[in-house]
Amino acid sequence: MAAPLELSCWGGGWGLPSVHSESLVVMAYAKFSGAPLKVNVIDNTWRGSRGDVPILTTEDNIVSQPAKILNFLRKQKYNADYELSARQGADTLAYIALLEEKLLPAVLHTFWVENDNYFTVTKPWFASRIPFPLSLILPGRMSKGALNRILLTRGEPPLYHLQEVEAQIYRDAKECLNLLSHRLGTSQFFFGDMPSTLDAYVFGFLAPLYKVRFPKVQLQEHLKQLSNLCRFCDDILNSYFRHSLGGKLAPLQLSFICVEYLHILLGLYKQNSLLIEEVCALSLNAGL
Amino acid sequence: MSLVAEAFVSQIAAAEPWPENATLYQQLKGEQILLSDNAASLAVQAFLQMCNLPIKVVCRANAEYMSPSGKVPFIHVGNQVVSELGPIVQFVKAKGHSLSDGLDEVQKAEMKAYMELVNNMLLTAELYLQWCDEATVGEITHARYGSPYPWPLNHILAYQKQWEVRRKMKAIGWGKKTLDQVLEDVDQCCQALSQRLGTQPYFFNKQPTELDALVFGHLYTILTTQLTSDELSEKVKNYSNLLAFCRRIEQHYFEDRGKDCTFLLLCIHGNF
Repeated sequence: MAAPLELSCWGGGWGLPSVHSESLVVMAYAKFSGAPLKVNVIDNTWRGSRGDVPILTTEDNIVSQPAKILNFLRKQKYNADYELSARQGADTLAYIALLEEKLLPAVLHTFWVENDNYFTVTKPWFASRIPFPLSLILPGRMSKGALNRILLTRGEPPLYHLQEVEAQIYRDAKECLNLLSHRLGTSQFFFGDMPSTLDAYVFGFLAPLYKVRFPKVQLQEHLKQLSNLCRFCDDILNSYFRHSLGGKLAPLQLSFICVEYLHILLGLYKQNSLLIEEVCALSLNAGL
Repeated sequence: MSLVAEAFVSQIAAAEPWPENATLYQQLKGEQILLSDNAASLAVQAFLQMCNLPIKVVCRANAEYMSPSGKVPFIHVGNQVVSELGPIVQFVKAKGHSLSDGLDEVQKAEMKAYMELVNNMLLTAELYLQWCDEATVGEITHARYGSPYPWPLNHILAYQKQWEVRRKMKAIGWGKKTLDQVLEDVDQCCQALSQRLGTQPYFFNKQPTELDALVFGHLYTILTTQLTSDELSEKVKNYSNLLAFCRRIEQHYFEDRGKDCTFLLLCIHGNF
């Protein structure tokens, strides 16, 4: 299709093209189906919107939500599933439902609700990509949204308590990971040799959990024991996302911002170049 | 329930055999029960029938409040109370009856995935239709939900429940969906189930499993419940193998055993 497809989504880090599950699903699907997608990473300028991300923009359409974006891409003839049989298509829907019901609550909890993880990793990362003063409000709102979703779908009315559901959601998530591992077995992708929609969804949900460095890591530890799922994520990253530097540039950008603030605060203009060199070296090592 | 409490309960459960006086509680059949609760109750009844475990169905207006998790149906076995299909399946398994023992790991994964598909799409669509579609809410749901209570409690409870369900729909992203989109999702789900079932008698060939019970519960209730319009049941009727599947389970597990299911028998004629 000649019309340019632009995707605005959250950026990458820790070796991933994006740390946001839904954005990652869409990016992976686009790679699998060969759709030419121009990725606009959300940064801390006021350009672009931050709600309902990821958003696909074409000349006449604006599509949000991964399921709708994938449908739209399929209609534009970018279909990663044309080799699947009807029954495999049905299995895809079922496994996506399993991911959303069993794995998503625990992933949301690990990223947005668990205090150690949220305050040391998630909030600073997202706040650095949102312009002030929204950076004070938006991460908190996203966290409340995640907590809401967990409690409303898993909690027991009329009094919703997090402690009661925490143990249950992690247990369900571990069971879900085990089921996925059994289903994947030793094959490269879930349906044979070519990646499909289900692979995009599984990659989108698992990769951030696998790669992002958290203080509280019980689910991550469980995932790392399932070696075929880890191999699955690494394979996709190496084959389809090797040339994207999004993941590598983000820590570099972040470090430049830190350096600038340091200069302003400490007045270290004389040692400017030395500091930048050191930070460059550090972040390149970290990015690789 | 914490992990320790659960382990304790299943120890106790394993100790005693299934008693004769096990009861299943649900809301009042004729006037109160709603589509989604009826589907859940029927799924549990079908599951217990498939396991050959006797159960007596008792209708109470406050079943929802008696239930330990707030959801119907729940069963009262010996001195334990367990609600919802998932925990009931595990409880029954602790007592030594299971329908899915013969499945290998990959098949078990598939079964769990399809059960989540039904919960994710069919159940949510039923809840949406009951509580977020203005026509159905006004004509059917409010009146039925509040029927056992005097004024003004009937209105208050109905609005409270509606507010709760709407909050949940918004949290999972269904708040902005239109009725047509929801019906399309139902169609997609039925298509997936139909393709998975194919020409087999049950989802895992010869023997029914809890997935068959769950699908039967939902599809049968959708087919036999009178709503403001027939759109929902029309979506299911498009798939003849699903209709045959429902008929087969109904004949084999409900009619043959002479179970008293007045609600079912009232509505079946003329639908197939």
